[in-house]
Amino acid sequence: MYVWEFAALKPYWGLIGQGLLVTLFYTVTTVVAGLLIGLVVGILRTTAPRWVSVPLRLYIEVFRCTPLLVQLVWMYYALPVLIGVDMSPAMACFVALSLYAGSFYAEIFRGGIEAVDTGQWEAGRAIGMRRGKIFRRIVLPQATQVMIPSFINQTIMQLKNTSLVSVVAVGDLLYQGSVITATSYKPLEVYTIVAVLYFVVLFPLTLVADQIETRMGAHR
Amino acid sequence: MSANGATLVANNIHKAFGDHEVLKGVSLSVQRGEVVTLIGASGSGKSTFLRCLNLLEMPQQGELAIGAHRFAFGKGPRAPKDAQLAQLRENVGMVFQHFNLFPHMSVLANVTEGPRQVKGMARTEADALGRDLLAKVGLADKADAFPSRLSGGQKQRVAIARALAMKPEVMLFDEPTSALDPELVGEVLSVIRNLAAEGMTMVLVTHEMTFAADVSTRVGFMNGGIMAEIGTPEETIRQPRSERLKAFLSRFHETH
Ligand SMILES: Nc1ncnc2c1ncn2[C@@H]1O[C@H](COP(=O)(O)OP(=O)(O)OP(=O)(O)O)[C@@H](O)[C@H]1O
Ligand SMILES: [Mg+2]
Repeated sequence: MYVWEFAALKPYWGLIGQGLLVTLFYTVTTVVAGLLIGLVVGILRTTAPRWVSVPLRLYIEVFRCTPLLVQLVWMYYALPVLIGVDMSPAMACFVALSLYAGSFYAEIFRGGIEAVDTGQWEAGRAIGMRRGKIFRRIVLPQATQVMIPSFINQTIMQLKNTSLVSVVAVGDLLYQGSVITATSYKPLEVYTIVAVLYFVVLFPLTLVADQIETRMGAHR
Repeated sequence: MSANGATLVANNIHKAFGDHEVLKGVSLSVQRGEVVTLIGASGSGKSTFLRCLNLLEMPQQGELAIGAHRFAFGKGPRAPKDAQLAQLRENVGMVFQHFNLFPHMSVLANVTEGPRQVKGMARTEADALGRDLLAKVGLADKADAFPSRLSGGQKQRVAIARALAMKPEVMLFDEPTSALDPELVGEVLSVIRNLAAEGMTMVLVTHEMTFAADVSTRVGFMNGGIMAEIGTPEETIRQPRSERLKAFLSRFHETH
């Protein structure tokens, strides 16, 4: 029987807390950036001419069809060589995670927008509303409602995906876990705590997602 | 074009979807206060023609004049700008077969959306107007409800109030009762009947022949993308000239 010694981690709580903050920081900033990218790209994909929407499609597919880990490492090692600027690991991670999230959010936005009945556009046009206004006041609010569950799911994935930044030595929760393991020789305790912390943050989010989903179902 | 004082003049309207020529030169002139009903078989182009009247469909040839709004279509004339289309549509109300209410807004907000967002009307004024119109269609007590809570007949009456809120010169109805349960048809028709009595200029597509005969100043029969016959209800419905129209009407008596 293994004897757990969580008490041995006492000196490291500060580091663990720091790691958790970095994880949350990356999640929040890259989700916000990803949403902005996703909104713009998603709208352009549904409305813009082909010479705009085809390259955007390419961007989306590239980021959806390569592993995030590969993207991170590529941004860190390859991109700086190509564009001749040094990228800090933190910057490379931010760019990769944001573009990755953006590609998924873009598809969620596009799907949501296209799911709104064309009769809604026509009803807006029939009372003299202009395109932009119809989009903002009639279509987007309805699209958003449809999209909320997918958004929450994608955001949960995003928080988990931030753990990949530890590969390029950005001090997130998982990275701090490996640092602490190296000095404390308590991998079981350390990684258990790390797993529990991820769970404690994410589980409530899934509950919120479920609740929103049932509430929306009842509204129909 | 409207030298004869007509509120709406559509002249030689052509519309094709790809190779499929749906309207092959349809003309219609509607005087102020007239109620013109369009009948015809499925696919004859009734909806397409109606949608050309507020330019939800853009004709490929012909002219359209509604009030001060004039358009010419074809290779020569420039395509109308977005702003011109919006201005035309402020003056032409449309009621759809499937209501197309805004589901995320209350009934009152549905009705006030146009006045507030398009005309920039102040909220209190728009709300008062909205409540008046809802009272007029018999739904004063539903102002704060959401569309999902309404019956089909109630939804369609809200849709009528929403169109009226723009104070249009002309109202277009595309089969406003076709999506309704039979017992709900009457309440919508009676609202339309009241509008007719008030002198609202209207063009409507319907399969309710008795209603059409009753409320219309003229009835037009569309067939194969042309206005095959048009005249008073007496002429078109009671004394059809063409065999086609006779056949169409007789089929009607059998099935309805
Ligand atoms: N957006 C479109 N694209 C392609 N074809 C269309 C489009 N709209 C209408 N059509 C075609 O045009 C023809 C006329 O359609 P329309 O809806 O005007 O007929 P209708 O007389 O209103 O018939 P119904 O009584 O069934 O409503 C049909 O064959 C239809 O398939
Ligand atoms: Mg039709």
